[in-house]
Formats: sequence, C-alpha cells, structure tokens
Amino acid sequence: MMATLPPRSGPTRPTASLETEVLIIGGGATGAGIMRDLALRGIHSLLIDKKDLCAGASGGNHGLLHSGGRYVFSDPQSAIECREEGHILKRVLPQCIEQTGGLFVAVDGDDEGFAADFAGLCAAAGIACTPLLPAEARELEPALSERVVAAYQVPDATIDPFRLALENVNQARLVNGSIYRPHTEVVAFEKSGDVIVSALCRDNRSGETVRIVAQQFVNAGGAWAMDIARLAGCDDVRLLYSKGTLLVTHDRMIRRVINRLRPPADGDILVPGGTVSILGTTSLRTDALNAVQPTVDEINRNIREGMAMVPALAHARYIRAFSRVRPLLQAGGGADDRQATRGFALIDHHSQGIANLCTITGGKLTTYRLMAEKTADLVAARIGNTAPCRTAVDIVPDGEACRWTEPGAAPKLWYRAGDPDDTILCECEMVPQSAIDQIVRCAPGAEAEMTLEAIALRSRAGKGPCQGSFCGIRIASHLYDRGYYRDRTGLLHMRDFFNERFKGQRAVIWGQQMAQMELAEALHCGLLGLDCLDSPSETVTEGEAQS
Amino acid sequence: MIREERQFTVDLAVIGSGLAGFAASIFAINRGIRTAQIGNTGAVAYTTGYLDLFGRLAADQLLDDPWRGLRQLAASQPQHPLARVTEAEVRAAFDEFVAFLTEAGVPYGQAGERNVMALTPAGTIKPTLCVPSTMQGGVDALAARARCLIVDFRGLRGFSARQVVANLRQEWPQLRAEQLVFPGMEHGELYPEVMARSLEVPACREELAARIRDVLGDADVVGLPAILGMHHPHLVMAEMERLIGRPLFEIPTMPPAVPGIRLREMFEQVFPTRGLTLIPQQKVDAVRFADEAVRLSLADSYGPIAISAQTVILATGRFLSGGLLASFDGISEPLIGLPVTQPPSREGWFREQYMDKEGHPVHTAGIVTDADFRPLSAEGGPYDRRLFAAGLILAHQDWIRGRCGAGIALASAFRAVDAVGRELARSGGQSGKHQSAEGRRDV
Amino acid sequence: MSEATIPTINFRERAIELLPEGASFEACLTCGLCSSGCPASGLANMDPRKFIRMAMLGMDEELSTTPWVWLCTQCKRCQHVCPMNIDISQLVFYARGNWPDEKKPSGIVRSCQLARSTDSTSAMGLPPQDFVFVVEDVLGEVREQQPAFAELQAPMDKEGAYFFVNQNSREPMSEPDEMVPLWKIFHLVGADWTYSSTGWAAENFCMFSGDEAAWYEVVKKRVDAVNKLGCAVWLNTECGHSYYTMWHGIQRFGLEANFRLENLVSCYARWIREGKLPVNADWNRDGIRFTVQDPCQIIRKAYGDALAEDMRFVVRKLVGDENFIDMQPNRSANYCCGGGGGFLQAGMTDQRRLYGRRKFDQIQATGAAYVLTPCHNCHSQMEDIGHHYGGNYRVIHFWTLICLSLGILGENERTYLGPDLAGIGL
Repeated sequence: MMATLPPRSGPTRPTASLETEVLIIGGGATGAGIMRDLALRGIHSLLIDKKDLCAGASGGNHGLLHSGGRYVFSDPQSAIECREEGHILKRVLPQCIEQTGGLFVAVDGDDEGFAADFAGLCAAAGIACTPLLPAEARELEPALSERVVAAYQVPDATIDPFRLALENVNQARLVNGSIYRPHTEVVAFEKSGDVIVSALCRDNRSGETVRIVAQQFVNAGGAWAMDIARLAGCDDVRLLYSKGTLLVTHDRMIRRVINRLRPPADGDILVPGGTVSILGTTSLRTDALNAVQPTVDEINRNIREGMAMVPALAHARYIRAFSRVRPLLQAGGGADDRQATRGFALIDHHSQGIANLCTITGGKLTTYRLMAEKTADLVAARIGNTAPCRTAVDIVPDGEACRWTEPGAAPKLWYRAGDPDDTILCECEMVPQSAIDQIVRCAPGAEAEMTLEAIALRSRAGKGPCQGSFCGIRIASHLYDRGYYRDRTGLLHMRDFFNERFKGQRAVIWGQQMAQMELAEALHCGLLGLDCLDSPSETVTEGEAQS
Repeated sequence: MIREERQFTVDLAVIGSGLAGFAASIFAINRGIRTAQIGNTGAVAYTTGYLDLFGRLAADQLLDDPWRGLRQLAASQPQHPLARVTEAEVRAAFDEFVAFLTEAGVPYGQAGERNVMALTPAGTIKPTLCVPSTMQGGVDALAARARCLIVDFRGLRGFSARQVVANLRQEWPQLRAEQLVFPGMEHGELYPEVMARSLEVPACREELAARIRDVLGDADVVGLPAILGMHHPHLVMAEMERLIGRPLFEIPTMPPAVPGIRLREMFEQVFPTRGLTLIPQQKVDAVRFADEAVRLSLADSYGPIAISAQTVILATGRFLSGGLLASFDGISEPLIGLPVTQPPSREGWFREQYMDKEGHPVHTAGIVTDADFRPLSAEGGPYDRRLFAAGLILAHQDWIRGRCGAGIALASAFRAVDAVGRELARSGGQSGKHQSAEGRRDV
Repeated sequence: MSEATIPTINFRERAIELLPEGASFEACLTCGLCSSGCPASGLANMDPRKFIRMAMLGMDEELSTTPWVWLCTQCKRCQHVCPMNIDISQLVFYARGNWPDEKKPSGIVRSCQLARSTDSTSAMGLPPQDFVFVVEDVLGEVREQQPAFAELQAPMDKEGAYFFVNQNSREPMSEPDEMVPLWKIFHLVGADWTYSSTGWAAENFCMFSGDEAAWYEVVKKRVDAVNKLGCAVWLNTECGHSYYTMWHGIQRFGLEANFRLENLVSCYARWIREGKLPVNADWNRDGIRFTVQDPCQIIRKAYGDALAEDMRFVVRKLVGDENFIDMQPNRSANYCCGGGGGFLQAGMTDQRRLYGRRKFDQIQATGAAYVLTPCHNCHSQMEDIGHHYGGNYRVIHFWTLICLSLGILGENERTYLGPDLAGIGL
C-alpha cells in the first residue's frame, strides 16, 4: 500500500501514481482529525494539502478551546457541542491543551443586561460558570482594567492547533501507515459515472502532476471547500468568507483567556498562547480567499477595543499579526458574520450525482473532532467498514517530532539535557539544533528537502520577537553544514522564509519591532543581498571585468 | 550623599556613536575643533566592516561604478543626501576616514573607482567600496577564482563553510570547505568576539595555525570567519599567515560580529588620546538651545553630566539606534523634537512584499535639512543655526536597499563638520573665547 | 545539603517591576551582544541572552534554581554593550536573594554573617578591639624599625578628620604589613585621616548573597560611623565592591550620608598632579611592563571612564609611559576577572577559573610582567588564574608601587613583588 514517489519531471502528464482507500483533501485540523479517525477504524488514507498543515483557518485563530460560553447567546447548540468536545479533547489530547480557565468580563459602558443573562444561559448549556466580583477578577488577572464591572469564570482552555494536526497525522501514520503529503493540490477529478476514480494533483514544489486513486474522497478544504467541490462538479457547497485579523503580543500578558462579555465584536478575546498572547479578532466579509493580509486599520481596531479589557495592550510590544478566512455556511441572512452559524455541515453530494465524495466545512477548532467523527462515519459506511469511532476514547500518544510546536517545550527539554554541544539555533524561542535535526528526520510531512517554513511550522523557530530574522540564517547554515541543503535553493528557502514571516509583521511594525525590522532588513538585504538573488551573476561579471 | 555634576565646555558636541558620529568626530579632530561625542552602543556594533558608498541605484541595478551611480542619483533623486554633496567631498570624506582607521590600527583599503565584489557569510556577493585589509584577500580570491579553502568552526552558528562553497561553487569551482574545532573551545556555542580575543594570544594563534595547516591541502588561500583579532587585526592576520604559509582573508559573520566591535573599541581607545571628550554608552537626555550655548544634559551611572557646546551634530541614526521613534501614531525625532518627513500613515510604511525591489517607504522618512545639513523647522528655515544632522537620520534615502549607509554617514558628516567650522569661525567659537574646559560642581 | 527548596520567582513580572520601561526584558532584540561579551557565557550552559529569553518564556523554575546566578558576577558588562540598555544583573541579584541561605554558596553567606557579627562589619569577623590592637602594634613596629617614619600616624576614631579611611580585613587579619605603605602615603601628602574602630571594614558580601536587609544593615553601620566622626570624605581603600556596596547602597536605601565618597585612585592622581606624591619611573630601568585591571565595581558600575583615566595617569607616572600597556578591552568595557560577585568566596573553583580564562588571555596578550589593580578580589583572582593557567605575571597593589617609586617601601611590604623588583630601593 505504501507508495513511493519517483522524482521525475513532466509537466501535466502524471509522473507518479498513488493509491489509498480514502483521499482527504485539506490538512487543517478537520482533515488531520479525519485521517486519525479513519486509521483507528482500520481505513488507510492519504491526506494532502496544497500548502501544509493548518495553512488556513486552523492555523489562523486564537487557539482557544471554547468552554462554550462564547456561544450561549447566539448559538446554544454550538455552546453545548463546545462543552462536550472540550471535555473529550482535554482527556485524549492533553499534550495540546493548557487548562488555563477563562474569564468573561464586562467593562463600564457595556450592556449590563447582557452580562446579567450570562450565568443563566451558561447553566442552560451545562457550562460551569462562577460569578466573580471585579476585584476578585483583577486579583486573578492583574492586567484587567479597573473599568471591569462584571466578571464570570468559565472552563476555557487553550489548544495548539499545529501540534493537534501533527499529533493526529502522526497517530494515523503509526496506526496503519496512512500518509500525509504536503504541497499537493487537487487540480482535477477523474470520474467514471457517478464515481470519482482518481484525483489529479499538482506538487506545488516540483510542479509535477500526481494521480491519486482512491475509493472515497473527502473534501476538508475549509474555506476552499467550495472551490474543491466545484472541481468535482458539485455546486451544493455554499460558503461565505469572513476575514479575521489577530495580533500576537511579545509576551504572555494574562494567565487565563479573557473574553469580553458583550455581543461579539472586534478585539474582544485575549488568549494566552503559551509564551505569548493573541488578541482578536476583527470580522470582515470578503471574497478573496488567498493572500489575505492584516491591515493597519484592523490592527488599530483590535488594540483600541482590547484596551478596554486589558489596558496594557495599548503599549504592548506586538510581534505579529495574521489574518485568516473563516468559512461560514450560507444559511441565515444575518448582517454580522459573527452571528452566522458556527455549526458545521457534512454534505454527501448525492444530489449532485456523485457517490464517493463528501464535503465537511464550517465549524470551529473546538469541534474538529466531532466533525471528523461525522465525516468518518459516512466514509466508513460507504466503504462498508463497521468499526466504531474511537477518537473520543483513545488517547493520542506523544509523537516524537510533534512536541516542538509547544511554546517553551524546546528550551525545557534542552535545559534538562544540559548538552552544551546542542547549540541553540533560534535564540528567541530557544530551539536547539537537536529539535531541527529531529524535525527534518521524522516529523509528519518531513521530506527530502524541507523548506524553512515547513520546519518552522513544526517548531517554534521564528515565532519570537525577531520573527526568524536571525534563526532563519542560523538554521539554514546548520542545514548546509549537515549537508541537508546542498545548493542555492537553501538561499531561496531563506529568502522565502523571511518573506513569509514579514507578511505577519508588516502591520505591527512600530516601537521596538521597527528597530528589530531595521536590523533584520539590513542583515537580509544590506549584507546578504537576498533582495537581489535573481541578478547577482551580472554583478560578478562586472566585478570580473575590472580585475 | 553629596554628589557632583561633571561639566564640559566644547565647540562641537556630536550626539551619536554610529559611523556618522565617529566620522564627524574624526573630521572635527583633524580640524582642531574641540569636540565631545556622546552616544549609546549604536548600530556600529552590527556592521560587517564593509564601507558601502553606493551599491544599488534602483531595482535590479547593482552598481559596478558607484561614482557614475552618484551622478545618476543627482538627476533622479536630487533630495538624496548623496546627491547633495559633491563627488570631491565624498572622495575626501572616504579618504580621510579610511586614513584615520588605518592609522588607528584597523587598516582599510582605499576607495577606488569601482565597487569591489565582497563575500558574505551566506555565500552571496556584495558590491561595496572599501573593505578592511583583512577582507581584501576574499575580494581578490573571488576575482581570481583562486584555489581556496573556507574554514568554519564547530559551534559557531550562522557561518557554514559548506554553505559558502555550495552557493559559489558554480562560478568558483576551486572552492573547498573544512570544519575545525577552535583551540580551547571544544564544546558549546562559540562567539566570534571570544575567538577574536583569544587569537590575540600567541599560543592560540600557533595552535589554530597548526590545525589549519592540517587541512590545507592544495589551497593557495584560506578564508575564515571574521575572528582574526580584535585589535590590530592585520598584525594578527600577518602572524597567522606566517605560521600557515598561505594568505588568509576574513568573511564577515552575522551579528554579533567582530568588525563592528573592532571599530567601536578602536574609537573608544583612540579618541581620548586625540583630545576628544568621549562619553560612550550613554544617551543624551535633553538638548536646550540657550543664547550663549547649546546645553546637553545626560546622566551616567555615576551622576549628571552637563555639556555646553557652540554647535551640535545630531547623528543619532534611525530606529535601531533610537534617533527616530516609530510609534503607533507616527514617526518622531525624540531628542529635540525635529519634524520628520514621513509617509502620511502607518499603512504606507511598508510595501506588501518584504523583498519588494522598490524598498519600503518608511526607510526614506527622516530629517530634512538645508544644504549644510542643518535640520529645518516646520516653518522651513533652519531649526537653529548651530544644529546639524548627519548620517542615516537624514530623509530621502534608503540606505539598506541603496547599499549606501557608510556613504551617507561619511559624506554628510564631512559637509556638516565643514559647516560647523564656518559657524564657529563666524561666532568666534574657535578664537579662544570659549576655552575647552572640564569642571565639577556639587549637586 | 539541607532539604530547603528554592521558591519560584516570576522573572517576567519582576523584570517589569524592577527595570525601567523601554529597557526591560521585553525590549530585547535578541542580537546576542550581551552573551558575546560575557565571560560567564557557556557556564552552566547559560548566558545573559538565555537568561532573558528563559524569563520571557516563563522558565521560572529553571531560572530560580540555576546555579548560573552564582557564576554571573553581576559585573554589568552585558548592560554596557546592550543597545537597549537592559540590566540583567538586577534580576540575578534578585534570584540570589531568593535562594534559602542553606542553599547559597556557604562562603558568601558566612562572610556576610561574620560582617554582621561585630561592629567592625568585617567579613573576616575581626572585632574592633583586635583591629585597634593590630593597627597600634604594626604602627609601633614601623616607628621603631623605620627611622624615616618615626612620626608615622595611624589615627583611630579621630573626630572631624577629613578622610574616614576604610580597610580591607585581609590586611589586619593576615598581612598587616600591607597596611603600612598606605599610611606612608598619607603621611607624605599630609592627609588628615582616621580609621574608625567601628564600621571600618571594606568588604560587604551581603550584597553578593542577595540579602538586601543585611546589605542595608552593614552599610548603615558604616554610614553611622562616618557621620559620627563627622568626616568630610569616606575614602575607600583599594577595593572594588566595597565602594559599590556603599555608594549604591546609600542611594538604594536612601541613607543620610553627610559626606562625600572618594576612591583612593583619584586621590593618588590628585596628589601626584599637585606634586605631593613626587613619583617617577626612574626605578624601572629594565623596562618592566605593567598593565592595569579596571575593577568593574568602581569603573563600569560606578565612576565610569573618568576614574579609569585617573588610574592610567597614575600608572604611567609610576612605570613610565612606554612601559604601560592596556589590556583589551579596557576601562568601562573591561571584562570582569571572575573574582567578583562573591565568586572567590563561593567555592566553585573550576567554574571561577573557566570564567577567568578570558582575563588570563587578556593579560597574556599584553605580555606584561605585572598587573596593577585597586581591588582585592581582582587581585586574588588574577593571581589564582595566573598560577592555574601557567602565567608568569604578578599582581600588585598601587600603594606598593607608589612607595617603591618613592623609595620608601619597607622590607616587609614587598610580598607581591617579584625578584626583579624585590630589591629595588632597599
């Protein structure tokens, strides 16, 4: 069953063919969850993503494992699902979760009636909710504003979506050799009657075309699910796109999740993410799916709103901002996308005359497992597999090269080992060379020549205040030294990595970050000349001419 | 406890200790102007040692002839600081600066008619005008495609000989890489600064030379990361060359790198012996333009310091050095409160793509001046006759993409010191009316 | 080893609290200049940048317990080279104070306890009456045996004297003759000075133990002693940290001190400039080379380069311009030798010597035969690493060389001179 890929060229004609029982399209949390679910039922799958794990909304959120409190007003069903899924995930995926707890706080001027209803609505959804005096809340979270007038404590938690995806993929790989293949994009489906026989996919790094033959096809493309369904001739996936922008602070400002106790709006959630905090989000209807970038206006709005809860946000050092497009199911007609259903939809495409494709979309990170379960139920039934779902019961083991995404994990392990020769390559997040070596050797999605972005996705490298400007150089040098990078493509990886990191910095460069950025650009462009990689040979020729 | 304020009276106060500040001090010393220089660490510690005049005129146009580039610049960007000085001034500034460095123990090659093509730690090539004499060998070896060995050291992060070789091999086939263990530093993370200081000890040089000899093979020349001594590096290099029997050269490393620390420590050593009052690693807190003098106040860990100056050159650099402050609402000049020309909003600071060939507009923000580099007030006239600005704080330039940081620093400092001299002559500052003096006062 | 545990500090919050805005840990650009320039980098697998990053990454348990806080001498070189001016040593001080006494290096704790055990404030526990006795005893001997100094004075508790002079305990305890050259210098310049029977001692290891209350107690006792005698100047002997603990302590604790603090080196320089100390380098006929060690506690951490210049002025006068060679780097940028911060008392010999390797290399690079330093800890450390790494230099006090140059150095006052100098002027 395990397929190997002969590296050959050939523009459109498939140069390789792979076979699996189920092809899962989309390496977000849901796709990875489906992969694990199927594996635990004994079904082999191949997971592909046109970029890499969590490249869409799965990687672009707060990392908040909702208690459900957020949804008690707008969507009680979602609130209950969140509560139930939260309990399950805390048990089966503890390595991805920090049980921080959370607060809902109203500040002076917020709708007090809204706040007053909160406890009752939580009780109705079965969510533990303890009222606190404002002074008690500030005692728990000294960063809270003096203007807090009402506060409730709920069992919110945080979850690392990258590790979540890696661990799901890793378990599937261990259980039955299911395969994850990054940078592989579906370009066409080959059908026979009402059955899809295979998917033609482009390898976005090599440009090669790969044919993937499967019995069942799962579209877990998230925001791209509508496009993928259309490739198969299905027009029954109707999505709206909502762009959200979030900010990352330089350090962790709070212990717990802080939610604003009011109808959802800009800048109303501040979530601790290991060693940082994440503030968000804005919400903006968009048609653009790709290349969405944070704007200065979105940044400003988040900060101005967030300051009401946590005044220190006004002067915090921000190191990053990111935007993601959230797929919303086109159902009701509410004006505010935050009011749209956060539920998910599983579409079997029967009505479209296709028997072996289904689409799962909508939903939220907290309910990814449930979404995967429902999808796998359908796929398994279609295959005739009757094994029950085990994802709510089986513990996900710690994957060997999966732990490096956890903030602070690498330095803790490194410090304990006390090996002076295991030098630190990313100084900000203290990622040692041993972590990088392990990732390129055996992390889910590891391949012959991983890009720095792919390595960074599987570690904390580049996530700190310098945003990769130093460690990109150190890691590349290390990989050259190891013989892993062998030619000029290493330089291109370096440049691409800095370009990619910049996208997340562009809108938050002021104060300390401007100094950091100036140093970075002087290094990358002024010294290394990465802005002129396309044309250095002329220079050398000119230099020769004079000598 | 009874404390005292230290007081200095000078003709010129140079604020800032980057290349522009140091250059201004050198030009002032050479002209007999009584000078005090104050400034914190500054970006000089991050320099590679290469002195760029002008390396890139526009997108994709790396310059072989910087002088021709300057002439083109004068036509296309007349507000650029390098377009506001004469070619003769630029040449004089480089010559005087380089001569001073050379005499002070960090020798440099002279500015020539063409840019030289210098090596970087990534294995790319960078056009620049002057290189330290310890790096000239790399320029020559590259030009000649010599049989060359690049050496790196276990534990020295961000510098891989294999990387240099991998990226240059196509055009430079006779390039080879070796990794060594640095003597006395068998384990752990190495810093070029520590290695450089270690090589000032004869025993370490002998041991390293022996290790290099072992891997020499047929190499005619050997390239090393920039670690060949912190003080008088050319002497350290000459001694190593004698021990190895082959010419050597240095390749700059990523920060924290030796060439910048070398320059800073050299200045800190030499300036006091030339009569300059150097107050290193301190920031000026306030500048007040009184009728009789410009008054600078600052404090070090010991206590308050007051400097009374007839003229001031502001060479506080950009964001990294604190000369400009980028805040949520805009860019300001925090020390004096000079107007800063800048994009209308934060949205316009950076382009979408990091490596956009056009560069980022935020880098052209800065201080606007008259022809003598006197900063202008909001009304358009000089902010104060006695105030001048030099270096990267100046507006209408992008030193990073233009590869012109040193060029701007030296040329603007040169013109500004010249204007300072005229200003002092006009006000009688150098006639002896204001004695350079040092005093103390209980506070 | 006791069972006491080290409480966990929230370093990030403490940094916000203790350091000025814009120069706290979150301002770090992670450029590494601090670690690059720190002799303690690599010890215990730590360095200053790692300290900052571990604090920001919430590794409070590790930082609270790392022995590195005892290997960092709090010399503040990291802050000196930091473009953001971040002061890591304050957090190191805080971390030291957080260790229970039983877990701290016992030598430092004992030295602090001893300082508090008598009114002398002597870290070697020498009580006032013993100090008075030793001074009188040595003085009597000198008057008797050195006719030129039959009138030599060593005033004790003299009210209204201009200088209140402190004394490192090492001399009265173990090498009393080493007190004499300084007395002779005072005698020669006609200084109006006094010792005090209380609060006379120089050293203060309470600061190095991180014990703020004890540091205060010792400084308070000394300030009271000076105030009581009504002296105009507290004159610090050739000792680095004693100056810093007093100078910084007075500010830190807001003590009322009706006097000025001065360092012996600036007095030497002034007396030479005024012609009161007619030193010259004529004795150095063989061109013996000297270098000088800038003690962190009085140069980088207190006076800055002004005192470093005074020190060089004195040395050049003493040994001849051409025979003086500076270590690199020097003045405020000088490396700590590794003797400070209580390292010499802490018992971690291997690590102290590893730390001192850079100082040893610095000295070796000068090729000097002698290192002058106005600091007892520097003195001991440089001697030790010299022996350990096979150096052939010697370390001497300024007072020795001043008296040698003036031809008034007694026979018993030459402990630290090598054979090349031992006979000069006898």
